[in-house]
Amino acid sequence: MNDFIVVYSTELMRRIKSRPFQIGLLIGIVSIALFTKLPDLLRNAGSHQTNVVLAAPAAVLDRAKALLANDYAIVATTADATTPNAASLKSHDASAWIAITDAKGLKVVVYAKDPSKNWSTVGRRLAPLNVALATDVSQARLATLMSVPVDVQALDAHFSSAAQADAAEGIAFTLLIFLYMLILINSQLVMSSVAEEKTSRIAELLVASISPVPLLYGKIAVATTLALLQLFIWVTVGLLLGANGMHTGRSIDPGAILAGGVTATEIVSFLILFLLGFGQLSMLMAGLGSLVNRTEDLGSVSIPVVMPVVFAFILAIVAIQVPDLPWIVGVSFVPLVSPFVMFARIAVTDVPIWQIALCVAINLVALWAIAIAAGKLYRVGMLLYGRAPNFKQVWQVIRS
Amino acid sequence: MLTVDHIRKEFGKVRAVSDVSFEIPTGITFGLLGPNGAGKTTTMRMILGILTPDAGTITWNGKKVDGTMRRRFGYLPEERGLYGKMKVREQIAFFGRLHGMVEPEISKRANSWIERLEIGQYADRPCAELSKGNQQKVQVACAAVHEPEFLILDEPFSGLDPVNADMLLAVFNDLKAKGTTLVLSSHQMWQLEALCERFCIITAGENRASGTLADLRAAWATRVLRVAPGDDAVRAVLDRVPGATFVTTDQDSVDYAVPSNTDFSAVLKALVGAADIHRFDAIEPSLHDIYIRTIGEVA
Repeated sequence: MNDFIVVYSTELMRRIKSRPFQIGLLIGIVSIALFTKLPDLLRNAGSHQTNVVLAAPAAVLDRAKALLANDYAIVATTADATTPNAASLKSHDASAWIAITDAKGLKVVVYAKDPSKNWSTVGRRLAPLNVALATDVSQARLATLMSVPVDVQALDAHFSSAAQADAAEGIAFTLLIFLYMLILINSQLVMSSVAEEKTSRIAELLVASISPVPLLYGKIAVATTLALLQLFIWVTVGLLLGANGMHTGRSIDPGAILAGGVTATEIVSFLILFLLGFGQLSMLMAGLGSLVNRTEDLGSVSIPVVMPVVFAFILAIVAIQVPDLPWIVGVSFVPLVSPFVMFARIAVTDVPIWQIALCVAINLVALWAIAIAAGKLYRVGMLLYGRAPNFKQVWQVIRS
Repeated sequence: MLTVDHIRKEFGKVRAVSDVSFEIPTGITFGLLGPNGAGKTTTMRMILGILTPDAGTITWNGKKVDGTMRRRFGYLPEERGLYGKMKVREQIAFFGRLHGMVEPEISKRANSWIERLEIGQYADRPCAELSKGNQQKVQVACAAVHEPEFLILDEPFSGLDPVNADMLLAVFNDLKAKGTTLVLSSHQMWQLEALCERFCIITAGENRASGTLADLRAAWATRVLRVAPGDDAVRAVLDRVPGATFVTTDQDSVDYAVPSNTDFSAVLKALVGAADIHRFDAIEPSLHDIYIRTIGEVA
């Protein structure tokens, strides 16, 4: 136990001071800030109003102006029906000239610098005025009649409303990205740390002092601690900035998340599945990292382990949309994949408790098996220099 | 006493150590010799418990070497390694903690080693910024900070300038004086001959010769007799010595190989009677000679 504590405390300080950790943390914070704020910024950038000049008969000018004011910045109005030219637009610093005439119904001609813009919006906005002129029904009455309220009642007990279901999908997606980033980044840091010790040749001095087992598990424990620290910082930043459900484009109120948008089941399952997934992947990474002789080889060695995680992330996105598809349910029990897919299912639907228990049990067994295999690989790999072992030799070590 | 009893280690189809046995009495300095690939490092790793022997046993004071015992051992591997970004003082303290030391003893020992090895000006700098020689000194401190009962040093002098080599030599002698049993592996035979009381020569995974230098010399069949002057009268006497063979001559002296059981007093008397002798040496074989011949016999 003392060996584990010594390795844990030293490795923790070493990793916190290391540049890769600090840069990773910073990149995470910047990414979250971008993810949360970018949609709003883009929306605001996209909603920049076009300056227009509105030309219409005096009888309809004010009412037309009121209907178009939300979509366009009307810089000037006129009753003049003459055809404008480029100089007319320039003199008003406008991009378009909207000319309305009323002869047995409204008719609109738009003289625009950029005709490709969606000018049909002008017609839709003026429709109530057109109907009002034709029927003598008031514009306010028409506005009411043209909007039919729809009340959506959720039958699935998991969510009480459609808005909550949308919010849950957004939260699930956000947490899934956290899960993906934490597991992938930190397990690769474990791998780099192992390879660094081997390539710097300090490994032999270490394993001569203590057993490789506390050395390996100390590293994993440090990586887990740092990942949870990152999670705490990232989530706090996310909540402070106001998380967004990126795929829905809807804003999620941080207060609402804390008040009940994220359920206790989601938080607990997130942490358990994170620990299981991270444990499995980082053990595999550590075992494989001990086999390389040059840090440049880490990329190629990690591919067979990283690919299933990328695949699992894609499956989890599908699971958010269709959580009850039989094959999605099936893969939610497969180790390495299930931490992502099962979490996605838990976040958006009611997963029977026996399925969650079975998933955790399968992953615990997988974690145990991977820990034994990785320990054997690590014990042998750390002292193995020269030509890298082939798959057959690696398999022999695991079976030994 | 460390007892290595018929140990064997194989890696797949490769037999790194076939059959090695030796004993190292407590408190001595022991030289482990052998060409590259002889199995020295594998033997050391088995002693330290890094590798488990496929056969045979290793005991320290009668008990099988285990993890707890390993805490009292120290090791300086041939391939040096340090955490490049960790500061010198932190690095030494870390290895002290790994060997079960606690504060304030760790800081006291770390400072003592920094002072002893004259690396105080680098104590709070990352190890990667140090020269190779100074890094080696840090590694020696890491290996010995806990004042081990048993310390294995694999090529401890390689890459060191003579001043630093002498410093480490003094450090090892200090450790020995405090009761540490030292195992040295080096290709610098003169250093081993000066430092070690017992030796073991390993070749192709087996020990070929072991014992004190006197034991090794006793097994040597001949001695070199160097006599000056090397004139004809002297050579005529030496030619009559049973089993003597001419080796070489120069302007002043002549060398003959004679059986180790030769009556050197009788030879000297005969020489004095024949010429005006001003040099008469019966030269013992050096460790280097013994090593080269032992390796050569196997080859």
